[in-house]
Amino acid sequence: MLGQSEHQRSLPLFDKYGGMRALHSVIINFYDRVLDSDIVGPFFDDVDMAKLIDHQTKFFASILGGPAKYTDQRLASAHNHLTVTNVQFDEVIALLDETLTEAGFAPDDLSKTLSAVEARRSLIVR
Amino acid sequence: MQIQDISARLLGSINVGICIVDADTGVIVSLNQTFETWFTDAAQGLVLNLDTSIALKDLPDREALEVRTKVKHRTLVVELSAHEAEHEGNRLIIIEGHNISRLRETEAMIDSYAAMVDKRTRELERENRRVEKLLLNMMPKSVYEEFMTFGCVTPRLFEPVTVIMLDFVGFTKMAAAGDPNVTVSELNSIFTAFDQIGEHHGSERIKTIGDCYMAVTGLPHSTPDHALSAARVAAKMMRFLERRNQTHPHTWRARIGIASGSVVGSVVGVQKYVYDVFGPAVNMASRLQAQSDPMEITVCDSMRDELIDDFRLSEAETVSLRGFGDTRIARLKQYQPNRKVA
Repeated sequence: MLGQSEHQRSLPLFDKYGGMRALHSVIINFYDRVLDSDIVGPFFDDVDMAKLIDHQTKFFASILGGPAKYTDQRLASAHNHLTVTNVQFDEVIALLDETLTEAGFAPDDLSKTLSAVEARRSLIVR
Repeated sequence: MQIQDISARLLGSINVGICIVDADTGVIVSLNQTFETWFTDAAQGLVLNLDTSIALKDLPDREALEVRTKVKHRTLVVELSAHEAEHEGNRLIIIEGHNISRLRETEAMIDSYAAMVDKRTRELERENRRVEKLLLNMMPKSVYEEFMTFGCVTPRLFEPVTVIMLDFVGFTKMAAAGDPNVTVSELNSIFTAFDQIGEHHGSERIKTIGDCYMAVTGLPHSTPDHALSAARVAAKMMRFLERRNQTHPHTWRARIGIASGSVVGSVVGVQKYVYDVFGPAVNMASRLQAQSDPMEITVCDSMRDELIDDFRLSEAETVSLRGFGDTRIARLKQYQPNRKVA
């Protein structure tokens, strides 16, 4: 039988931070930041809002261990029509950092999440 | 501060977009800051172009209208409603706009999340069915249901039941000599056939250990004719093997022991479950199996009464069995029951 604390620790971040109910504001917050950004915002000029939201929801569910799996292959294929530079990727990481910090993510969880995204840089930057 | 000033400031600062248009010319008479941010063309052109097929003059009669507009990189969804008004003899249309982007974004997010959850639910259901199938292979359905409801299974005494124990002659040698893939796959297909025979005659396969196959009748639901059912199962198994041997290069010959008595059934193990039965009937069936010649079925002589109407049995003989001492046993003389039974 798992002890309570052990159980708590093994929860995916998605559930630890309140599931969809709580992450709703995180996703919207990140969406706002990305669209407001002069560095990465232009990517989304011609993207349908519902489609973009769908991507972002899946993205968060995926990096936080929610009910979606974004395979690396799918991630690469979703970005291969774009030319994303390192600067733009850095911007997304920074925006994610701000969003999650504001949402009250513990430093441990924050760095774990950011490095998971960082690890996929080569799939997106070309 | 004049009341007009207050009105103007209020109009400028609220989050509702207001635009007043001359109903006859379509020319914008006035608009507030919010409206201007949403529809920059309106501010510049002075004529409101909503980019919809609806004429401006028709707006007041309609339900609220949803229009999309691009502000920076973001597509805003604005809900417009209009009212007619008159000012100093001019017919005006007052257009009021509410930004409902957040609502639509949230709806899109819920749709996306619901689709994810649906997909995950379907995956889980598939996985559950797979686990259920696997567990049902390991234990009787009623035991499985108890296990799923309570997370454990209370050991239960089943009495009376009949245990069938089957073992193949020379299997070890066969496994070592032949291609192990072929041997195992043949064993698998034979055991599967045994399972089907058992299903027809109400026996439960309890387990297989290597080439040993063990099944029980009268468990988990007691039946008065458990002994006869067991004998029928055993007879069918032998007939299956005989028929199979006629058409296959490898000959599979079995010994079978059948014994009635009581057993205790339970799930054993915490991580690696196995449903198993224990008891004198199990040990007896095992000893009787060892007493059989190849392709022979040995039973306890005490079962004679149950079987005599349907099977021919040999004269009883007394043998000494480990753990049981002198025991009277008999052989089923032929596999074909004496009379046709359903």
